[in-house]
Amino acid sequence: MSGWMQHLTVAPIVLPLAVSALLLAFDERRRALKRVLSLATVGALIGIALTLLWQVSGAAGSGQAAGPHVYLLGNWPAPFGIVLVADHLSVLMLLLASLLGFTALFYAMARWDRAGPRFHVLFLLLLAGLNGAFLTGDIFNLFVFFEVLLAASYGLVLHGAGMERTSASLHYITINIVTSLLFLIGVAMIYAATGTLNMADLAERIPLVQAGDLALLESGAAILGTAFLVKSGIWPLSFWLSRTYAAAVPPVAALFAVMTKVGIYIILRLSWLLFGDTSGGAAGFADNWLIGAGFATMLFGTIGILSARTLTRVAGHYVLVSSGTLLAAIGIGGQALTAALLFYLVSSTLAVGALYLIIEPVERNTDEDDMIAGIAEPVFDDEYTGALEEGEEDEIGIVIPGTIAVLGGGFIFCTLLLSGLPPLSGFIAKFALIDALFRHGAVTPTIWVLIALIICSGLATLIGLTRAGIDLLWTPAEDSPARLSVIEVAPIGLLLATCLTLMIGAGPIFSYMEATAGAIADRAAYVDAVRHAPRAGEVQP
Amino acid sequence: MEIVLAIAIGALTASGLWLLFRPRTFQVVLGLSLLSYAVNLFIIAAGRLRTDAPPIVGRDGPVDPGLYADPVPQALVLTAIVISFATTALLLVVLLASRGLTGTDHVDGTEEDL
Amino acid sequence: MTDARLLLIILALPFLGSLGAAFLPTRGRNAAAALAGTVTLASMLPLMAFYPALADGGTVRLAIPWLPSLGLDLTLRLSGFSWLFSMLILGIGVLVVLYARYYMSSEDPIPRFFAFLLAFMASMLGMVLSGNLIQIAFFWEMTSLFSFLLIGYWHHNQSARDGARMALIVTAFGGVCLLVGFLLLGHIVDSYDLDAVLAQGDLIRGHDLYLPALILILIGAFTKSAQFPFHFWLPHAMAAPTPVSAYLHSATMVKAGVFVLILLWPVLAGTQSWYLIVTTTGLATLLVGAWAAIFQNDLKGLLAYSTISHLGLITLLLGLGSPLAAVAAIFHTINHATFKASLFMAAGIIDHETGTRDLRKLSGLARFMPITATLAMVAAAAMAGVPLLNGFLSKEMFLAEALAAHSGTVLDRILPVLATLASMFSVLYSVRFIHQTFLGPAPVDLPHQPQEAPHWMRFPIEILVLLCLLVGIIPALTIGPFLATAVRSVLGDQTPAYSLAIWHGFNLPLVMSAIALVGGTCLYFLFGARLNDFPQSPIIGHFKGRRTFETVLAALIDGARALHRRLGSRRLQVQLRLLVATAFIAAILPFLALGYAPGPRPGTLVDPGFAVLWLIGGASAVCAAWQAKYHRLAALVLIGVCGLVTCISFVWLSAPDLGLTQLLVEIVTLVLLLLGLRWLPQRRPRQRQDPTVPLSVYVRRGSDLLIALLGGLGMAAIAYAMMTRDAPAGISHYFMEQAYPGGGGTNVVNVILVDFRAFDTYGEITVLSIVALTVFSLLRRFRPAAESIEIPEQQRRQNAFDDDREGRTRGDTVRHYLLIPRVLMEWFFPVISTCALYLLVRGHDLPGGGFAAGVTASIAIIILYMASGTRSVEMRLTIRPVRWISAGLLLATLTGSAALLFGYPFLSSEFGYLKLPIIGAVPMASAFLFDIGVFAVVVGTTALMLIALAHQSIRSPRTPKSPGGGEEAG
Repeated sequence: MSGWMQHLTVAPIVLPLAVSALLLAFDERRRALKRVLSLATVGALIGIALTLLWQVSGAAGSGQAAGPHVYLLGNWPAPFGIVLVADHLSVLMLLLASLLGFTALFYAMARWDRAGPRFHVLFLLLLAGLNGAFLTGDIFNLFVFFEVLLAASYGLVLHGAGMERTSASLHYITINIVTSLLFLIGVAMIYAATGTLNMADLAERIPLVQAGDLALLESGAAILGTAFLVKSGIWPLSFWLSRTYAAAVPPVAALFAVMTKVGIYIILRLSWLLFGDTSGGAAGFADNWLIGAGFATMLFGTIGILSARTLTRVAGHYVLVSSGTLLAAIGIGGQALTAALLFYLVSSTLAVGALYLIIEPVERNTDEDDMIAGIAEPVFDDEYTGALEEGEEDEIGIVIPGTIAVLGGGFIFCTLLLSGLPPLSGFIAKFALIDALFRHGAVTPTIWVLIALIICSGLATLIGLTRAGIDLLWTPAEDSPARLSVIEVAPIGLLLATCLTLMIGAGPIFSYMEATAGAIADRAAYVDAVRHAPRAGEVQP
Repeated sequence: MEIVLAIAIGALTASGLWLLFRPRTFQVVLGLSLLSYAVNLFIIAAGRLRTDAPPIVGRDGPVDPGLYADPVPQALVLTAIVISFATTALLLVVLLASRGLTGTDHVDGTEEDL
Repeated sequence: MTDARLLLIILALPFLGSLGAAFLPTRGRNAAAALAGTVTLASMLPLMAFYPALADGGTVRLAIPWLPSLGLDLTLRLSGFSWLFSMLILGIGVLVVLYARYYMSSEDPIPRFFAFLLAFMASMLGMVLSGNLIQIAFFWEMTSLFSFLLIGYWHHNQSARDGARMALIVTAFGGVCLLVGFLLLGHIVDSYDLDAVLAQGDLIRGHDLYLPALILILIGAFTKSAQFPFHFWLPHAMAAPTPVSAYLHSATMVKAGVFVLILLWPVLAGTQSWYLIVTTTGLATLLVGAWAAIFQNDLKGLLAYSTISHLGLITLLLGLGSPLAAVAAIFHTINHATFKASLFMAAGIIDHETGTRDLRKLSGLARFMPITATLAMVAAAAMAGVPLLNGFLSKEMFLAEALAAHSGTVLDRILPVLATLASMFSVLYSVRFIHQTFLGPAPVDLPHQPQEAPHWMRFPIEILVLLCLLVGIIPALTIGPFLATAVRSVLGDQTPAYSLAIWHGFNLPLVMSAIALVGGTCLYFLFGARLNDFPQSPIIGHFKGRRTFETVLAALIDGARALHRRLGSRRLQVQLRLLVATAFIAAILPFLALGYAPGPRPGTLVDPGFAVLWLIGGASAVCAAWQAKYHRLAALVLIGVCGLVTCISFVWLSAPDLGLTQLLVEIVTLVLLLLGLRWLPQRRPRQRQDPTVPLSVYVRRGSDLLIALLGGLGMAAIAYAMMTRDAPAGISHYFMEQAYPGGGGTNVVNVILVDFRAFDTYGEITVLSIVALTVFSLLRRFRPAAESIEIPEQQRRQNAFDDDREGRTRGDTVRHYLLIPRVLMEWFFPVISTCALYLLVRGHDLPGGGFAAGVTASIAIIILYMASGTRSVEMRLTIRPVRWISAGLLLATLTGSAALLFGYPFLSSEFGYLKLPIIGAVPMASAFLFDIGVFAVVVGTTALMLIALAHQSIRSPRTPKSPGGGEEAG
């Protein structure tokens, strides 16, 4: 690849950064301008991600073979300079983030971006941070971009101020600062043991680490892993998560749905790249811990969903469930399972994003804050008494107002997605996961437990969401429903439509996931691509 | 030297952690800055110790890396210092805001148990 | 031959119709009904066209690739059996549509109703036509969903909401089990294709995953077909509009489970476990349902429980595992659909015309609505199994099968008895239905005066009853061939010889049904009068399915809440402890596994100075930790000492850049914290004499101390382990070799920052900018706590002093306070600024650089502020930090992007030297421009934060509002 196209790899980071710097120069009052600029930028990000995806997967017409694109920042050769690597996985994450970002930003224009200053700047910078984390091939640079996205997320959680947001973010910030310190410690230890920071270089050096330094290396990796697990919301280190997300304004919460996936992404990448089967003494040293942690998280998330009193809490705990599922699946490993979990990752992220967006309009109609009343007292009748005892029934259906109809439809779709019922992608994801688990080899107790947890969490989600939905949408409201602007409906519709696409186009999309799983497993290709990336100005083949 | 520095890091970490677990926001902030000192020194330690090595490389002729302290950890620490400074500042302001809104400087924004 | 693609049309039409109906105007009753009816009939036509292709036992397949890599294609498969089922679904569908048109009130927003109905119909068809297990599960769940919407159609009624929710949860639970069961089957056979699975019966029955698969699939089927103990949701689903009940509980929803059981009968049936589970479940359901039906006082309730009992009968037949029983099951499925649908519709008419469904109120309706009465009586007779009606035939088959011994267990003996008993019950409740509703004296005080229903509302019933009669009298000529096709398509070569004749001679089954008929009737005339007095059915009435369900759900949720409180915590301290503890454990596990040992590297010898330095450092750290609660200022100073010691040790360890930067950052942080102190609450040490410190506090502190010490120990140990190991041949040599030739600077660290790893710095200044902006926007809304709003005590004293003296105006003292130092500090400003510039330009070659310079510059500004007060400074010079930040970021970006023009990657640098008069040779690397960007950002951010915080103090105390100048000052 040559010409301007080669710089496409760095664009997802530099573009939003530059635009936000530009936006800073404008006065807060030029809102229209800021909206247009930022929305256009995120739209461009989607385009870039799609182009990269098209190139990386070596699609016909992209004029190149499939494989990672390596970008040598500052034109320094790897492993000395910082490299960006756009491969199947990172490009997939780019696309996911920018899709979610676009919808959330669009939704924010209903009114949320007016809730405080500099919303668009922070939003773009968060995306820049996410993209950086997805693209970078250097663990310290990864730290820097984690900080970028965290700093932006602090700003966004605080967007709109208020007591709950402030005290929630106090916890959020403190915990994340400590996590960042852990991150640094881990990086330092890994550097001390291997003398390098570049991921590909690490992949090459880790098998060569002498037995004497192995403990140091693994300990460093474990600390690093702890940091990532905190980001991905593992139990018992994730009590801050649902509260923080609930405190944030809806579009921000929706975008945060992808934040936990950063941790997942990096665990997935490093566990294959650094601690895969061929990594000598350090091979797969943490898999069982991942599985255990994943189970615990799923369990906690399920319990949380059942016990949640507000929809935002349901959503928050669903995020935990999906993280747990992914971590356990990563721990079990295997290419088929990886492909399935990637599909699940995309589907569940989009779904929970849509849920966060739809919660506020749904709850707008009622003013109670305890949205889901505790389960009704057991009704002490068994056999059907319908018309006879439950009082005179009105056997004429009531006309549902348009807004409620729309919200109801959207809500039902979200419920189906999250609880893995057809006809949306949630079902395919669940099916693919369980199918891969059965095909994984002998059906061990571990696999049975995971399947059981997947099913139970799905049912818990169904119970929690139907309860809420029936209370909020079906219980006749005396006052006419609040207004619903198309700016709010469109993004939700877009997300759900994407999930529908995932479902209809499951074939090609899933084969991309399989290609991704293959690319993740193929360490050699990754390492070669990085080590032999040509510098500009040198003779290129 | 190594042993001294190790003990120093340990002392900083221990007192930092103790402060981190206190219920008052201001203590937490102080604890965090102690911890960041510890971590910065720790990163330097990751590059092994070197006393009185020149900080500047010569302009002419090849350079013998053996003569100098490992510059990579130093660069990392420089970045880390800046970032931890920034986050500390933010945390400070957030705690002031929470103190202003909740009327208490308890980390949970309330004195009684949650 | 008919084109297989027509199958798609059969499936697609109802879906499209449902979409269309959804967009009809709210009041478009006739339009919606017409649409629904047409669509249903339209998709019936191609179905009929397919029959010839199936008559000889063939199947029609259409496979469209969907998710090939997982063996999931959109496969449509039409066999004789699925053809019969589809006809049932569509045929009764049409009748229900017609019926609903007249049943539903004209005020009802009926298009929605028909949209749901059609979607449900389509899902049923999808399931029946599936040629792929996963696809079956797919549409199965969709039927659950749409039945939920249909049952909850009148969702303004509590009972509808509850019933719908219960049905959804129970059937969805079953659906998931079914899915997993199917996945297991697919795993056993290594294909999800139905034909492939059906071909592998022996493999499946022999596999050791057979039992789990069987149980899971059975759970799915039993929940859907309302088998005991999952039957409880069905009666509550009666809250649905009667047309829905007529459809869901006769031909479709509840038959889905039966359908799957029949479909997989060839591969799953025939084992001992199948026989035991399915037979006993079916038997239990048969009896429980029949018994409960007797005591219902609601027409629909009675029909609901009789449905349950008939489903039990079918299940029981399937459980027996003999081909003949399977035939009977298929046959009865159809018969039950016909007479039960008509009965529900009749009940609906009665409800519609009299305004009640209460058997205790109803009586003698025959004289008001003779036609409906006749129809209902015939249908009820069919339900009771009266000869010359279709019910009789399948009932006979059932009794015959019950007699034939199968398994050699005790079941064989009791089965005939219980079968007869159950038939007796069904006769009993049928008789009660007829007698109490239509016969006897004229009813009193009914809500409406009863009258005959409009003809087109009766029409569907007439059709169905006619079918009952035809099938009952001339089975061989009516249902015969179709049944044969269906049976052959299911049983294949094990299709038994059976005859549909009405008269098989005087045999035992005949006797049994005679006993049932007579006995049932007698029982009614003995006890019938008393039935009305039962509030609930005896014995099994105590099994309260719904109550159990609700209780379980409630318990589940309460348990979850309790558990959630235990497993989680909202307290920050707890979370931090957990975090640190986890990290600690994670860190030591590898050492525990692989052993801990310091490395061989010869240590640099201990310098006493350094040791002393750290004696001080460590001591002050500990003191700070100890004192921080009550003596904040002291603690702050001690922390400052630690910082200083750290700086010195950086220099000592030959890292001057770090020393410098740390020092500067130290200063700024200190100022920030000092500015912050003012807003914190007063805290005096607790008086010693109050002994009321609970033990728990000590325990907590103890654990904190332990974790802290362990953490410190761990860090020390690991640091020592690192330092005593030989450095691996890493990447660092490259930087030292390339710093000057490649990067054009002799200060390697700075070159790394602005060139080799400039991208880190780029991210770092971004972080700074974000934080500064956040701080600023946070402080704009800052509300200080009540008690810290007053002017500080010192200032109050000074003002008091001014007020006492004459000739002094309030605030003089404050103004003249520390006058001389102030002037000096003001003079510092230019000096320090120059230093900053110097640091900036020399950064590339000597310690310094953009960041250090930036911090220095902002320190200059702070000093200025401290010296001459915020207001006077801002009178003289206006700083626009946000602009600085923006400019800096843009400069950095542009510098980086400049390389793109020359075809080089982002942040590639060029350099040369520029001779300046005084300063001498200045390195003019493009990296230098980048460094200027860094400088600007750092100045901007630091200034922004400090100023914003400083502004809090000068806000007019009483009315807290945004800091002076807002955006501009900030």
